[in-house]
Amino acid sequence: MSLLAQCGYGRGGKIEQGLNDGVIHGVIMSPRDERRGRLEQDIGNWGNSHPNALVMFDPQFYAATLNNPRDGHLSEFDYYNNNSGLGRTHFSGTRIQSYVKECLDYQHQTFGSNLAYLISPTILFDAFRDSWSQIALNMAVESADYHSNLNSPQPLLISLVISETAFQTMDAVEEFLDALTEIDTQGFYIILRRNSASVQNAMESAPFGRFMYFCHVLTTINEYDVIVGYSDWHSFLLEAAGVTHTATGWYQNLRQFSLARFQPSSGGRRPRKRYPSAPLMSCPLINPELQDIYMANLLPRVLSGSSHDAILQNGPASGEANWSDEISCLAHWYSLNALSQRLSVLPTQSGRIQEAERLMQNALTLYTQLSSQNVSFDPSTGPDHIREWQDSLQEFRGLAGL
Amino acid sequence: MKVPQLTVEQVAVVIPMASDIQEVDRGGQKIVFSGIIDGRKYALKFMAPNPSQVGGQNSEFLDDVTSRAQREVETMQQCSTPYLVGMGPVGLNTTDIAGDPIIYFSEEFVEGQNLRAYLQSNGVFSVPELIRLAFHMSEAIKSIWQFSKIHRDIKPGNIMRRNDNGDFVLLDMGLVFDLQDESLSVCPVGTPLYFSPEQMDFNNRRTIMNFRSDLFSLGTVMYEMVTGRHPFTQGATTTWDVLGNIANAVPQPPMTLRQELPEKLSDVIMRLLAKRPALRYRSIELFQRALREVETEGGLQ
Repeated sequence: MSLLAQCGYGRGGKIEQGLNDGVIHGVIMSPRDERRGRLEQDIGNWGNSHPNALVMFDPQFYAATLNNPRDGHLSEFDYYNNNSGLGRTHFSGTRIQSYVKECLDYQHQTFGSNLAYLISPTILFDAFRDSWSQIALNMAVESADYHSNLNSPQPLLISLVISETAFQTMDAVEEFLDALTEIDTQGFYIILRRNSASVQNAMESAPFGRFMYFCHVLTTINEYDVIVGYSDWHSFLLEAAGVTHTATGWYQNLRQFSLARFQPSSGGRRPRKRYPSAPLMSCPLINPELQDIYMANLLPRVLSGSSHDAILQNGPASGEANWSDEISCLAHWYSLNALSQRLSVLPTQSGRIQEAERLMQNALTLYTQLSSQNVSFDPSTGPDHIREWQDSLQEFRGLAGL
Repeated sequence: MKVPQLTVEQVAVVIPMASDIQEVDRGGQKIVFSGIIDGRKYALKFMAPNPSQVGGQNSEFLDDVTSRAQREVETMQQCSTPYLVGMGPVGLNTTDIAGDPIIYFSEEFVEGQNLRAYLQSNGVFSVPELIRLAFHMSEAIKSIWQFSKIHRDIKPGNIMRRNDNGDFVLLDMGLVFDLQDESLSVCPVGTPLYFSPEQMDFNNRRTIMNFRSDLFSLGTVMYEMVTGRHPFTQGATTTWDVLGNIANAVPQPPMTLRQELPEKLSDVIMRLLAKRPALRYRSIELFQRALREVETEGGLQ
């Protein structure tokens, strides 16, 4: 598995640097956040400068069903602009054909071989048995049919944007998988829509375990490529489930997907600086949390090992000013990549699952040790998310019989 | 529904080009003769339609028997694989014998034994023989699925092993189900012992039944042919018990019943028997690739 950059606003030089450093292996572009001309130019340029990078274009068609979405530059793209403000009645068979055609034609004709995959349009849904999920399935089937006649050398990923609440009911998950695995396509690009936009690593354990199982059935059992967007620290668990690639960006709204991304901004101050710690599987605040760890002489235990660590090694509080957004992003990718690599080198799925368990246990042990040294954590950085992940992994193992 | 009462002499009148006519089988709905036409032996199948079922002989609707015969002939004409029984020179016809309407057609006469008889006389299959069966039946299922159809009645009694070359042939396309054809009945049909779980899901079968349902039935046949035991009859005393087991019980892996079986082959069979279609194989090609891996790892090629 490899990590991709989930693009959004404020790309700067992060992508180039991340690709050059080898901490990301591709890019998922966001038309909402880019001027059309620049986006098209950059995708063309990457084809030349990084021919092995996996470059994809998420059409973000799903925003067309939201009420007054903050859709940025999406209106510059005809496949979206011609079709915004869609309600349930706007998804007849003929209209779905038209949405699919416009969206896939745009990618095929504009980007050609510079894209690793074409990505189908989709809509969001909250439950596997609601009418929106049926619309999503109809769009998926239509996309596969249209793509099969497109003569595109780029394989197709069917995109899905699924609410975390959909994974409450296992029967419905299985029914949906039965239908999904009838589709003849190269793979799926899946976004798990979180209910909360806040900094929160863990999802409820049982639904996330079922999401892992959902991915496992698509990848390990049915051998589709599966790319999970906005996956952040969940990436290593998804690696254990067999996912092909994951993607993560630099802002919180590019690390976990919620509708807040398309709603008016509530403003607020800049987020406090954090350090992405692979051993802790979370992002402690540089000051005071990482500084407290430093004072307890345990800093080396929580560092991830990237070259950027040098900035903080002689005192996080004093290095904080030099910890730029770009460095933070590159260090974050480095940490996620490092965790995934620990799993991906193992030849069997059971080995990867055991390694994921071991990494989580090590993180808990480290938290305990830090606590004994009077290092305290904000609830968003504390160890609770790891216990949830452990339960998720157990749920997944039970479902998959592993 | 009745079996037509026909004699060899009456068949000779209906199909005058056939010689050496002999009765070979009499089933629930049909009587089958063999006959030589242009030097080759064919099966000659005769059925009595059931006009009362649809309001008389002149009704524009077809009774079940006629529909089945049409499906069978149409499928044989569409599919071209040596692992599905082929059409004979006499197409689907109707006639009147002693005042009774009769439907008839001819098909390839397969010299051999069906798997039920073969199991009784020869015992369980060897591993190479089972893999051969799996390859041939998967080709048959693929050939039917090309036309968005599923067989729905894969069972040992419907699979013949040819005497001349040991190839396996799938018979009886009378229950073939066309997913594109809204007019066909979706009532549960087939042989309950070899049903897939979704074949019993009477409310939802049109949307979730596809070739993976036939793969489940093939898994049941493979399990039985390699262990000598049906996977879902343990503890069952009624058909409903068996159906309950098909829906809910996980059978013992075949390798626990026959220890020399390769683990990978046992896994392949268990995967065919997964309750959910999504957990089986999403394409025939993936299934065949798994079979080739069993062959390669076991040095069976």
